[in-house]
Amino acid sequence: MRRFPVVLCAIALLAGGCGGVGAPPEPVTASSASRPLPEGVRFGDTAGGSQGGDTNCANPTASLRPGALAVAPGSTMATIAGKGRLVAGVDQNTYLFGFRNPASGRLEGFDIDVVGWIAKSIFGNGADLSKVVQYKVITSGEREDVLTRGEVDIVVRTYTINCARLQKVDFSAEYYTATQRLLVGKNSAVDGIDDLGGQPVCAATGSTSLAAIGAHPAKPTPVSVVNWSDCLVMLQQGQVAAVSTDDTILAGMLAQDPNLKMVGPALAAEPYGIGIPKGKEDMVRFVNAVLSRAMEDNTWQTSYNHWLGGTGQSAAPPRPKYRD
Amino acid sequence: MDPAGRPPTISPPPPRRSRRGFVGSLVRQATRSAATAPGRLAAIAVGLVTLTVLTGLVAALSLQQKVDTIDGLVTYDEPLSVAAQEIYRALSDADATAASAFLSGGVEPEGLRARYETDIARAGSALAKASADIGVAAGARAQVDVLSTQLPVYTGLVETARTNNRQGFPSGAAYLREASALMRAQILPAAQELYRMDADRLTRAQDDATDIPWLAVALAVSLAGAIVASQVYLTRTTNRLLNVGLVVASGAVLVALIWSTVALIIESVGVNDGREGGSSQVDALVRIRITALGCRADETLTLVARGDGPGYEQNFARNCGAVSGLGTPDDQLTRARHLADEAEAGAASCAIDAAIGNAKGWHETHRRIRELDDGGDYDRAVTMAIGMEEGNAAADFYELDTNLVNAIAAGRATFYEQTSKAGWALTGLVPGVVVLALVAAGATTMGIRQRLLEYR
Repeated sequence: MRRFPVVLCAIALLAGGCGGVGAPPEPVTASSASRPLPEGVRFGDTAGGSQGGDTNCANPTASLRPGALAVAPGSTMATIAGKGRLVAGVDQNTYLFGFRNPASGRLEGFDIDVVGWIAKSIFGNGADLSKVVQYKVITSGEREDVLTRGEVDIVVRTYTINCARLQKVDFSAEYYTATQRLLVGKNSAVDGIDDLGGQPVCAATGSTSLAAIGAHPAKPTPVSVVNWSDCLVMLQQGQVAAVSTDDTILAGMLAQDPNLKMVGPALAAEPYGIGIPKGKEDMVRFVNAVLSRAMEDNTWQTSYNHWLGGTGQSAAPPRPKYRD
Repeated sequence: MDPAGRPPTISPPPPRRSRRGFVGSLVRQATRSAATAPGRLAAIAVGLVTLTVLTGLVAALSLQQKVDTIDGLVTYDEPLSVAAQEIYRALSDADATAASAFLSGGVEPEGLRARYETDIARAGSALAKASADIGVAAGARAQVDVLSTQLPVYTGLVETARTNNRQGFPSGAAYLREASALMRAQILPAAQELYRMDADRLTRAQDDATDIPWLAVALAVSLAGAIVASQVYLTRTTNRLLNVGLVVASGAVLVALIWSTVALIIESVGVNDGREGGSSQVDALVRIRITALGCRADETLTLVARGDGPGYEQNFARNCGAVSGLGTPDDQLTRARHLADEAEAGAASCAIDAAIGNAKGWHETHRRIRELDDGGDYDRAVTMAIGMEEGNAAADFYELDTNLVNAIAAGRATFYEQTSKAGWALTGLVPGVVVLALVAAGATTMGIRQRLLEYR
């Protein structure tokens, strides 16, 4: 007896469906919303990754021994001094390392400080950096190209020294040691890249991180973007499960969004060097001398404390290695 | 009647046969009656009156259609295409303004924020207008859907960018890039397509307004012929020179023909003047304005990108000769000037002249901005790009835009004036034609009835 109303409803529904006059017109066409994506994002593709491990070379971080800090006539530095400006390839999207301060419009960060040390060594301590340094903002994927085409004098852009890149460009000695980690949402259960099988993980095109994601046995889905800050956007928009890259870059993202956390063991060390066009040995030795002095006279530490002091990243300058 | 060649095995089905039988008997009756003189006269009267009523009806309907088309031109088609171009313009300007505000650093200048807000408000309002009138154009619905679903997403991204900027975070720039990509990849193409559809519809409506109503013309000519032939027949059979009724009918048809022809010629000329001096000019100028807006966005985005990764400057070099005013083959501004001269659109010519001057200044400034930026003087390049003082790109561009707006307004005014005048030419024509047709039908009936009475 209690079933009766149910039966009635069923009959009513059937009758409605069989009326033969069709359904009322549907005035609303949108049924779902697509979230916006950063420009140039690619899914499941590691084509732009920089394979560091495939090419073997002995001791890639050993650079040329530092030379004199004076600008010798006829040297690469003298040419730079002659044209009146140092062209530096940098980033404007990596918070704390190389970023555009939206309040002032100026480029700032640890890497930008490093450019300043080199510029002051060439043009003198009193030089106005806004006049003698020309910043050229480049993406991760463009770093080798701008050096080989000679469009920039140096690249200071969270640039990991590895054997594949050494075939195309020269590197200074290591000036910062980063390690690969993961950035996830605060409530995420992910504890390492092993937990990310089949899930989208973000990295910049042309970075070693992208290749590492693609090669990982847990098979996360690599998502490549043009700038690192695009990874933060995608993480905030819920389009990737994690960002996998150097702890330095991740620390910058964490500083912009307290709803994230850094997880995972410190994986491969990422030694940062300054990229210099191939064959300019005098420039490599000069830059190494500048770096060596900055590490000794506390300049390095001051910059570190200013930019990274609050993030808990490795606090001591690396010990540079040299070959002759 | 069966055609002779039809095979005898196929016989027509019974119901058709019975209908054919009925029609056949009617025809037989009529033929028999037409064999007598009064019968023939009655047949002529029925034929003439039917033809007159039919001609009057068709003429009135096609003339009413013209009146409606002209009304539609000024109250519907043209405003709609203006709404569509305003959607494109406002959104494109919002994108360029957001980039400029970002370039200026810190909390964005009040003027730029206000400009952005006005752009979004105008785009929303124009979009409401465009979607309210969407009913007739199926293709336009898809574009309006894209616009109305993505515009809130765009403004959301811009506000997220703004919040991050105010906190000093570079992720603000990333959100702004995402917003700009959404604008350029999805929203602006939809707006451009919508404008193209609306502009095409305007052109089609103008074609309709200047078409000759062939059916009505053919009917009117055959009616005139039939009346004359009847008159000749009557003269021969009754030995009376003129039948007053048919003379009045001929007069009414003649007046209707002349009135319609003159009115339609005046109307066509008006609509054509409205097109050549008005809507064609507006269309050319709108396209120039759209290109100029894109160029301005490219100019600022090159500086935002700082180094030419995504190729904004290549875009500028490729597309912006069209708004250089330098008279190069791809220069659309100079072509618009010639168009305006040909159409003798004086006000538009003046405004375009001024715009050409601004465009030349802007391109010169742009060259200097690139020189400064490529030469390492980024700060001065930015100042020159966004500064509102004389000799800066923003000032040149806004003046160019203002002059294009003036030229567009002049074109719209010409369109409105000429098309409205074209509409006035048709005043009273539809009721006039109906009355004249009734007069002709009545006079025909009276005239032939008089003859028929003589057979009693």
